[in-house]
Amino acid sequence: MIQVMLWLPLAAALLACLAPRRAAGWVAALGAAGTLGLAIALLAGFDSASAGIQHAVDEAWIPDLGVRYSLGVDGISIFLVLLTSVAWFAATTWSAIRMPERPKTYFLMLGIAQTATLGAFISQDLLLFVLFFDLMLIPFYFLFGSWGSDHPGREGEGAIRRSPATIKMVVYTLVGSLLMLAGAIATGVIAGDGTPVFSMAELRADPLGEDSQRWIFWFFAAAFLVKMPAFLVHGWMPDAYRVAPLAVLAVFAAVLSKVAAYGFLRVVLPIFPDATIQFQEVILVVALASILYGSVMAFTQTSARLVAGYSSVAQLGFITLGIFALRPDGADGAVLQMVNHGLVIVPLMLIMVILAERTGGDDITRMGGLALRAPVLAALFLVVTMALLAIPGSANFIGEFYILNGVFQEKIVFALIASIAMAMAAYYALRLFQHAMHNRKRDDVESKEIGWREGAIVGALVACIVGLALYPGIVLERSDESVKDTVSAVQEPSDEVAARR
Amino acid sequence: MDATTYGWLILAFPLAGSMIIAFGWKLLPGRAAGWIGTAAIGLSFLVTLGALFQILGLPAEERQLTDSLYDYASAGGLDIQMNILVDPLSVFMCLVVSGISTMIHLYSISYVTSDRGFNRFFSYLNFFVFSMLLLVLAGNIVLLIVGWAFVGFASYALISFWYRRTTATEAGMKAFVINVVGDIGLVLAALFIFRELGTFDLLAIFEQAPEQFSTNEGVVVLIGILLLVGAFAKSAQVPFHTWLPDAMEGPTPVSALIHAATMVTAGVYLIGRFYPIFEIALTAADIAAIVGLVTLLIAATIALVVTDNKRIIAYSTMSQIGYMIMGVGIGAYSAAFFHLMTHAFFKALLFMTAGSVIGAMANRQNIDLMGGFRRSLPFTSALLIIGCLALAAFPGTSGFFSKDAILAFAEYRGGAYWVFAIGGYIGALMTAIYAFRIGFRIVAGPPCEVARDLEQGVHHHVEPQNPATGEAEDTDVGFPGEKHNIAEDNWPMKIAMSVLGIGALFSGYIQVPGVTDVLHTFLEGSFEDSKLYFEQPTDAAEWRGLATGALISLTGIAIAHHFFLRNRAAAARLQARLPGLHTFLANKWYFDEAIDLLIVRPTLAFGRWCDSTFERYVVEGLVSGAQGVAKGGNSAVRTAQSGYLRSYALLLFVGFAGLGLYFLIAGS
Repeated sequence: MIQVMLWLPLAAALLACLAPRRAAGWVAALGAAGTLGLAIALLAGFDSASAGIQHAVDEAWIPDLGVRYSLGVDGISIFLVLLTSVAWFAATTWSAIRMPERPKTYFLMLGIAQTATLGAFISQDLLLFVLFFDLMLIPFYFLFGSWGSDHPGREGEGAIRRSPATIKMVVYTLVGSLLMLAGAIATGVIAGDGTPVFSMAELRADPLGEDSQRWIFWFFAAAFLVKMPAFLVHGWMPDAYRVAPLAVLAVFAAVLSKVAAYGFLRVVLPIFPDATIQFQEVILVVALASILYGSVMAFTQTSARLVAGYSSVAQLGFITLGIFALRPDGADGAVLQMVNHGLVIVPLMLIMVILAERTGGDDITRMGGLALRAPVLAALFLVVTMALLAIPGSANFIGEFYILNGVFQEKIVFALIASIAMAMAAYYALRLFQHAMHNRKRDDVESKEIGWREGAIVGALVACIVGLALYPGIVLERSDESVKDTVSAVQEPSDEVAARR
Repeated sequence: MDATTYGWLILAFPLAGSMIIAFGWKLLPGRAAGWIGTAAIGLSFLVTLGALFQILGLPAEERQLTDSLYDYASAGGLDIQMNILVDPLSVFMCLVVSGISTMIHLYSISYVTSDRGFNRFFSYLNFFVFSMLLLVLAGNIVLLIVGWAFVGFASYALISFWYRRTTATEAGMKAFVINVVGDIGLVLAALFIFRELGTFDLLAIFEQAPEQFSTNEGVVVLIGILLLVGAFAKSAQVPFHTWLPDAMEGPTPVSALIHAATMVTAGVYLIGRFYPIFEIALTAADIAAIVGLVTLLIAATIALVVTDNKRIIAYSTMSQIGYMIMGVGIGAYSAAFFHLMTHAFFKALLFMTAGSVIGAMANRQNIDLMGGFRRSLPFTSALLIIGCLALAAFPGTSGFFSKDAILAFAEYRGGAYWVFAIGGYIGALMTAIYAFRIGFRIVAGPPCEVARDLEQGVHHHVEPQNPATGEAEDTDVGFPGEKHNIAEDNWPMKIAMSVLGIGALFSGYIQVPGVTDVLHTFLEGSFEDSKLYFEQPTDAAEWRGLATGALISLTGIAIAHHFFLRNRAAAARLQARLPGLHTFLANKWYFDEAIDLLIVRPTLAFGRWCDSTFERYVVEGLVSGAQGVAKGGNSAVRTAQSGYLRSYALLLFVGFAGLGLYFLIAGS
């Protein structure tokens, strides 16, 4: 079942290429729906009492090189798989309604991207993970570059053209990716005795020496921090977010950043435990800087896309903070927050499509008064806004609360400083909502209700947000065992490691 | 049924009402949403009575009941339940909240009848009440924070209800952000509590706190102060109060709700509820009392000079809440909650009369324009005077008994606590003056033009303006509705005001020193382990306090009579003689300006610096290699056509494959 789920989006995308032009989108959407169904079935058959890998598939792929085609989910990845399926289903259906230019290539790229992302989440082999991780980049390169649009940029500055923006993104992430590839190969070679070892389970059971861990740690960390993006290496984000097609940006922002955070949990903590402990505070500082810098930037931006972009920098900072608390509660919160953030960003980006259509752009100073004839849109947007600012009562708050609690018990100063960001989030999220929906309507703004099909998609996502708010335990309880297991790697280093010290 | 089952029902009705109205907004005919909303809160009040009788049937020491619905968010060593705590204190709060809110809903049915957002209004209003009830019923601190934040959200939604006004949306934002600062205080308090005691459950916290902490230990004082940040933000205490007067941008019933029932009293509840912490963290309790005193005095001075009818009442709320915060700070718990209840009656009433007067004035709120409404608005005038009497603590009214109970307790504690008593009496004098500044200005004196026309049966209609900016309102799209409603024409408004008027006059008699002791006895179940609750001044001392209060109240009313009725020119002369003081007070002690200068501007300047300088030179320049490549790509793209993209991608593929191959070979 897990295999079908992994390849179904790709298969549907290929089928969409054969289908008539008008039906291409719907074939792809059907594929995404099927994937979502399978992901739900996967969750239904999931035993949350077990910390191990479930629904495992493990076959030799390139035996000489020790690379295995090894798949499976645990309590952490299962929800990210689900998030991926939900996000792609929403974005694909949305695109099918809107019908982009050259739909066949568009949906093919979208399908490849989904398979690559799912693959990254369910790989249990390090090299397979790296390959899927790098494969993700390619379809997004095309999607941003070919279906994106030039952005007028800020006043007084030139326009942001889509091609250089896309290339900038690719270069940034490619540098990280190549480092990671090198790191993965080095890990396998050093760990292996003749034949390289890439199985995550084996690598974890028999970690590398401390010196090797120390430099390979940074190869992986670099890739993940760029992808998130974290403070100082987020230089690609502002341009890329401004030119990207919004429906694609929805899945990109919702899911790809999570692959990076997931990478820390899946790869870095278990496989490089000593280095993780050693560099804990360095990463915590980066995370904290991301939180504060992202929040401050978010409330000075006038581009709605950048408000969302910088708020994501801050949110990913929170998630990293939770992971590097190196405690089960912090990491539990991080997993929950990955799901929450994804569920919030997708509808937010889709709403921005509507905003752009009504107001002709993403400049919030040129918006206003949209709520007048669009009460349903306003209500949906309001719920999304409240979740974005993590109002207590939303699952986002529970995520942040768990994260803060984890950090608080371990490194109290970080938690105290990070809590300031909650007030900043209130300001920038509300500012976005208010500038768009409230105040007098400008004459060049059209206040029109969201269409019923688009409304249904956003409404369904909002229903997910509300459902999770009522019962965030649904994620926490199921991921808890796996999180504890992962975190235990850095809590009690194996005897062998202890002996080597 | 169990008391806890009633407890869940108390929450269920308002939530259901809010949802029914929200989802049925297009289907509901006419004013149905108003009636549904009112019925939902009314039912909530009825089941609260059910809970009350259940609790009364139990022995005094078994009156704290909890019930968990499900595991809300439990993992990783944290245990967070969806549970409620039903005890005398929460039942008392529910009675006040749902009782007063029912009347406000009833009033609103008439008041916002022609507003475009009628259904939205009632959906938010129900949600507001639900949030407040959740706050007071929450059985653990996380759920309490949820209710706390929902109250903040609902206030935001209702303050910016007329969202076409920029002033309203900005006021809403201000209220929300300041409230979030309070939320953060509570969150950090919860984290500290969890670190020290390992639990979020309220009863468990209260049980363990006295064992774990020694008196005035650093961490417990810190917890107390963090709780106070939350309480001050929500209860509009200095310096977190600036949102409250701006919150007058909301429709008048919303002001009534915020001030009487569903919001600003939350801080008083919080401090009362956490008495086991504050009785250990003595410094924090003293801070609460001092801030309460400072707030009540500052707010009273401002209320003496501002001219906007609703803002005067708003500052009076701030001042009265100051009394309550001071009360719970010094340990006069039952007196503070007594004042909370009586205040809820007369403050809701005052806002309702203000709404009626504003209706007559076609949305103008400046009291300098008003006067002589006693014949044109006889019903409103009568109730306005009742409200003013209770606010001024006129002997025999509800405010008389409750305010003096707090001050008598301050005297009783003696020593430095005398400061609170004396400060409180000074505040009381100012209260009586500003209360009758409103009363005399609006009711008595020569009728203004509007009042004269109304006596002839002509209801003025001017094109409404935003009272804050003078901007013309767009009634063409129903912001606000085109009708101006006065109580004289609307029976729901009359009923609501009458009920509250009766409460404002007579609710003080449940707690007359030496005669009745209903509330104090009832709340005992929630304050069993308190060291201070069972200490009470003697009846003689309380009566001495009441006599002092009566004297001060009458003096204040006499002063008001002199300045605002008999000799109006004297007020102007006084103002002219002290221009500096007047400007200072009229500018509300420059709190807004100070916060702007110290917090808002530096943050924004930092943000702009990050945006314009740091981002461009450091972040962009950091990976100079990437930058260079990007620039190269940039210029290449400018010359090439879109076909270039494809070849670039091909290059990428090939490069990738080559690299992978190289590593694989090297690896094996």
